[in-house]
Amino acid sequence: MKKYIIIISVVIIAFSLWNCEKDDICAETTPTTPRVVIEFYDFANPTVLKNVTSLGVVAPGFTQGFGFSGVSKAILPLKTTDDSTILQFIQNGSDEDATNDNLDEIIFNYSRQVIYVSRACGYKTNFTLDATIGAVLTTDSNNWIQNITIEQPIIANENEIHIKIYF
Amino acid sequence: MKYILKYTFSLLFVLFSIVGNAQVKDTTKVAQRYGLRVGLDLHRLTKSFYDKDYKGLEVVGDYRISKKFYIAGELGNEDKTVDDDRFNFTTKGTYFKVGFDYNAYENWLDMENMLYVGMRYSVSSFNHTLNSYTIYDSTNYYGENTITTGEKFSGLNASWIEVVGGLKAKVINNFYVGFSIRLNYIVSDKKPDNFDNLYIPGYNRTYDGKFGAGFNYTLSYMIPLYKKK
Repeated sequence: MKKYIIIISVVIIAFSLWNCEKDDICAETTPTTPRVVIEFYDFANPTVLKNVTSLGVVAPGFTQGFGFSGVSKAILPLKTTDDSTILQFIQNGSDEDATNDNLDEIIFNYSRQVIYVSRACGYKTNFTLDATIGAVLTTDSNNWIQNITIEQPIIANENEIHIKIYF
Repeated sequence: MKYILKYTFSLLFVLFSIVGNAQVKDTTKVAQRYGLRVGLDLHRLTKSFYDKDYKGLEVVGDYRISKKFYIAGELGNEDKTVDDDRFNFTTKGTYFKVGFDYNAYENWLDMENMLYVGMRYSVSSFNHTLNSYTIYDSTNYYGENTITTGEKFSGLNASWIEVVGGLKAKVINNFYVGFSIRLNYIVSDKKPDNFDNLYIPGYNRTYDGKFGAGFNYTLSYMIPLYKKK
């Protein structure tokens, strides 16, 4: 009889503790909403990667942005609330000097797919860039970006290059 | 948690009353009562009152077929809203469990207590309403995007096997209190498109694997049908 009581008590205690267990945390390795992956190339020599220096990227109206320097790749988030995202690519934008800034604006147009991931991660949004107006450079008097091409319109992961920018 | 402690305490009380009664051994054969026992799960019933996100009812029953064996089953209905970090959804459905209980407890004289193990085959039919969800964006640059939908996922079902362990003690006349815990193993699980069965009525919360757990806390009444030595 004693044996039974011990077994049952252990099970009850274990069960009470189990009820207190917290939900899983979304693991960083789980693919969730992907960002757009952009690579920078030399306009004069279109097969050669070109590093950006002090590139600042910011969404209009935001005070915080992303800085890139000495790299030829930028990974940037798109809006999951809207079918288009405007990002300002500011040459020399992430340095201290504001006088040498050159702001070029790119409008990304896409459709969104909401996909279930898991209990811990919830849902993610994948994007499909529009075939004709997927990434449009707003023309101004002094564009530093010369050309934009879409390499992979389906943004479902961050392992591929989606867009190439030539400057 | 308060309620779990409460249950645990009363359960231990029941346990010790069984032990207290089991001091003397006797070999005299006493006619034992056979009948149909029906009851309610008090846990699901009381939770319906104190938890605004839960409504549930479970009717339990067993029918004694031999000295040790009982045919046993549960029939229930649940309406549960789960509010997780990533989403808020409501699951509604009905379930039915059928199987047997084997009484491992040696009763003295005409006592009718049970310390049993059993198995059930369970089926559940349900639907989910996804009330709202949040898009997981690791950068969170543009802020949280929570979408209120109300999208419904209907016509879902699941089946599973339960291994049951529990006890029942006669309190007065034909009334019994009981407690059981269940280890569940999913056999089939029809999942919705672009969502998951995160909660299954009768099974409870699902986990990554096929295992789950549940329990009930019952008050039953026995309708005696005949006596047998």
